[in-house]
Amino acid sequence: MSRVLVRLGRQVMLVPVVALASYFLMAALPLTTDDDAKRQVAPEVLASYRRDLGLGEPLGFLRPWQKLWRGERLGTSAQGVTGDELAWKLSGSVGVGLVALGLALGWALAYALVRARWRRSRLSLVTELLPAAAFGTPVFIPALLLAPEVVERGHLLPEACAALVISVWPGIFLGTLVADALDTELTRDYVRTALGKGLSRGAVLWRHVLPNVWPALLDAVGPVATALLAGSFAAERVFGLPYFGQLYVLAVLQKQVAVVVVATTVFASLLVVVGLAVELVRVAVDPRAREATP
Amino acid sequence: MKGPRVPRRAWVGLLLLGALGLTSWLAGRVFPDVLAHTCPLGADPSQPDHTVCERAFGGLWVSLVIGLAAGGLATAVGLGVAMAARAAGGFVEHQILRAVDAFFALPDVLVVMVLQLAGQSLLDAGGAGGLGPSGLMVVSLALVGWAGPARMFRNRLATLEGQEFVAASRALGAGRWHLLRLHLWPALRPFVLAVFLSRLPTAILTESTVSFFGIARMEPMSLGRYLGTSYAALIYEGGARVVLPAWGLLVLIVLAASLSAQALGVQNRRA
Repeated sequence: MSRVLVRLGRQVMLVPVVALASYFLMAALPLTTDDDAKRQVAPEVLASYRRDLGLGEPLGFLRPWQKLWRGERLGTSAQGVTGDELAWKLSGSVGVGLVALGLALGWALAYALVRARWRRSRLSLVTELLPAAAFGTPVFIPALLLAPEVVERGHLLPEACAALVISVWPGIFLGTLVADALDTELTRDYVRTALGKGLSRGAVLWRHVLPNVWPALLDAVGPVATALLAGSFAAERVFGLPYFGQLYVLAVLQKQVAVVVVATTVFASLLVVVGLAVELVRVAVDPRAREATP
Repeated sequence: MKGPRVPRRAWVGLLLLGALGLTSWLAGRVFPDVLAHTCPLGADPSQPDHTVCERAFGGLWVSLVIGLAAGGLATAVGLGVAMAARAAGGFVEHQILRAVDAFFALPDVLVVMVLQLAGQSLLDAGGAGGLGPSGLMVVSLALVGWAGPARMFRNRLATLEGQEFVAASRALGAGRWHLLRLHLWPALRPFVLAVFLSRLPTAILTESTVSFFGIARMEPMSLGRYLGTSYAALIYEGGARVVLPAWGLLVLIVLAASLSAQALGVQNRRA
């Protein structure tokens, strides 16, 4: 277990590093320049930026977090955010992401099984071209194609559509990994032995092969979770969902620097939580992970 | 010694990539009037002076150039970091790899957005070191994209250095530079090309997404910025004609780069 804790400790270290890096990057922006000719914002806006980031104050880098803790609004205008609003927006994005993850796992399994079945037929070309089409399609394109039905006509639920469009790329990505792992596992001796003893193909697949494929799937869940949350930024923007992704994009567009610092750190913390969940699931389902720990 | 044969799939991908680049260059730069007068998809709703074909192929050229530059820079930085890590070895190599892993865990789109915000503020204040919006995007994409290649190059170098012919050469007194130039680099070269080609679609898609949000100020417009400024057309009848060509071109680029990168990658694993 201690090796797992060491890995988790490394991931947790990412949070303060991201918090400090994003804070000092924002604080170093020319918003803080002393040269009025080069400054792009009005003096009163500049003063509010300085207050928001706590520039020039002792332990000023803690200022955004202090404001959130006290329930004050972060940001220089009504587009800012309070701690409660941030938590609500984050829960919205995470909810959409979790539904998308479930859908992605479904696509992955379906794609892998179809590819294994069509491997020696002419239809295998379809399973070869599908990943290229999925990887070459940024999330915002299917979102745009669905947008008239969702936004204008209100025929479809925006959250469900967002989850659907976000899930396609991760689903196919996970599917290719599972399919490769399936290809390898299906040629192993234990499969031939099980089939030779009279077990049906379905039973061999579900009882023996798939449990050996799950670890490959788990390895990819971390990067896929990152992609799901980043993809939700685009989907939320197109469908007008008022969650974390929309907040982040608007904060960058409106140069709400303190909101960017806090949102970036919260996002990094979320990735750590995902990493923790993946490690725990790995220890639970993969005996090799348990045996590897001293 | 004759090098390994380039797989047919890699050739198909490279030819498709070359054809896309050549077409967009000819259509957007050399013969811009042809697309202005013969486009079957009609005028762009947001800029009626231009046709959809002009905007799509012009955007393809910009996206392709940015993808190639950012992919090349990220690959070069990754290779430099990997070689430095291998040269240092031991504890330093371990720490460098840990930093690389931490960087790799960060989401591309989010970091590029933050870098664009910082870079544009520098640009406005005249402190971007001569970089325009395109240069800024290339640097941002390279800054988030080097970690993956660095990890791959380091692992490949470690594998190559463990081979018997390298050990024999080292035992015969070969120096580090000699080993790199005569034994490691020829074996590493196709792998560098495969990694570069795998970075190309990632860079183009990340740029497209950030430009779509309206955060990057790409001018002339890339495919992503074009889609970001024109998607309101979808609410009108037949508005899909604005989005579909740009989408098709994005898929073709990724298909071409992925085909060649995968084929070269498989060949490298077998070698």
